Amino acid sequence: MEQELPIIQIRNCLLVSIQSELHDRLALDLQASLMDRVRTVSARGVILDVSAVEIIDSYITRILNDIGKSVRFMGAECYIVGIRPAVAMTLIEMGVELDSVNTALNLDLALERLELLQ
Amino acid sequence: MKTVEKEIGAILTGTISSITQRSIFNRLGGLASTPIQQLTASDRATIMQELENSVKLFARSNSAQLIASCARALNSGTGSGGTATATATAAAQVPMTPKKMPIDQEKDIATARLEAWSEAVRIGLSKFASVKVATAVSELARNIVFYAGKGTVELRSVKDERGTLGLQIIASDQGPGIPQSKLDEIWAGTYKSQRGMGKGLVAVKKLVDDFQLDTRPGVGTTVTCVFKGER
Repeated sequence: MEQELPIIQIRNCLLVSIQSELHDRLALDLQASLMDRVRTVSARGVILDVSAVEIIDSYITRILNDIGKSVRFMGAECYIVGIRPAVAMTLIEMGVELDSVNTALNLDLALERLELLQ
Repeated sequence: MKTVEKEIGAILTGTISSITQRSIFNRLGGLASTPIQQLTASDRATIMQELENSVKLFARSNSAQLIASCARALNSGTGSGGTATATATAAAQVPMTPKKMPIDQEKDIATARLEAWSEAVRIGLSKFASVKVATAVSELARNIVFYAGKGTVELRSVKDERGTLGLQIIASDQGPGIPQSKLDEIWAGTYKSQRGMGKGLVAVKKLVDDFQLDTRPGVGTTVTCVFKGER
């Protein structure tokens, strides 16, 4: 399954909607291309929309945290948006932290926090 | 000649993610690639049953409408009599026949957790508990693929002392096993894994109601855990 997740640019912000299973290679590719794009477009923020992701386990959490860390190293902020309530409750119960990323309820609110919307 | 997969996929797109769609069609097996015109009445019933279960699980809204559209699409073929109808849902609290799934590669992880999710709903666990079940299966299946290469995940329904149905998960492999020194680190939360967080087993233990780990270096690892039904 050869694929690459499309990265959409909204002003100086990058948006990725995660619609498929994040496996090792796809995650690493995403991380690399996001870092590249953050640099070339001087992005202020990166938003990962996970509203289509039904299950987030500790492995996916690690991937999200890693992306968050690398984006932060580049001087931008990473937002995860659209985490489902049951997913959030499960992560809390498992004691798994999403501590290297910011979260927002939805895309609008993330953009607002990144001051792209008034 | 449109196939079931093409026709139904077009209806589900936008509401149900492509990963989930793929799993639904995998569960239908050969039926997914059958042209709609060639479906028999019993094929239609099988497909509708599967769609109803999955759509209710994954569509956040308008699931009834979606199911109705699917039924219409299936009936559009001129096929051999019998029409697809949306039947009443299976009653809650139905025991299941044990199901053993091979876990050999990364894509089996997604299949296993989807299977676990729908079985959990089918035996009457709440929507929230079912997400926990699917997450636990995801962790266990991932451990098998990452550390043992291959193994199996088995699902069984079990009754507790009050007769409420719960779900038992048995994840088993013949991999390298976990040495005691590493186990100590895992339970202490200090273990760092190359690929994951190193927290999968701890996370599963926190999620489930009953947890047993049997691991022998050189022989393999079996994790047995139970989600109890709510009352």
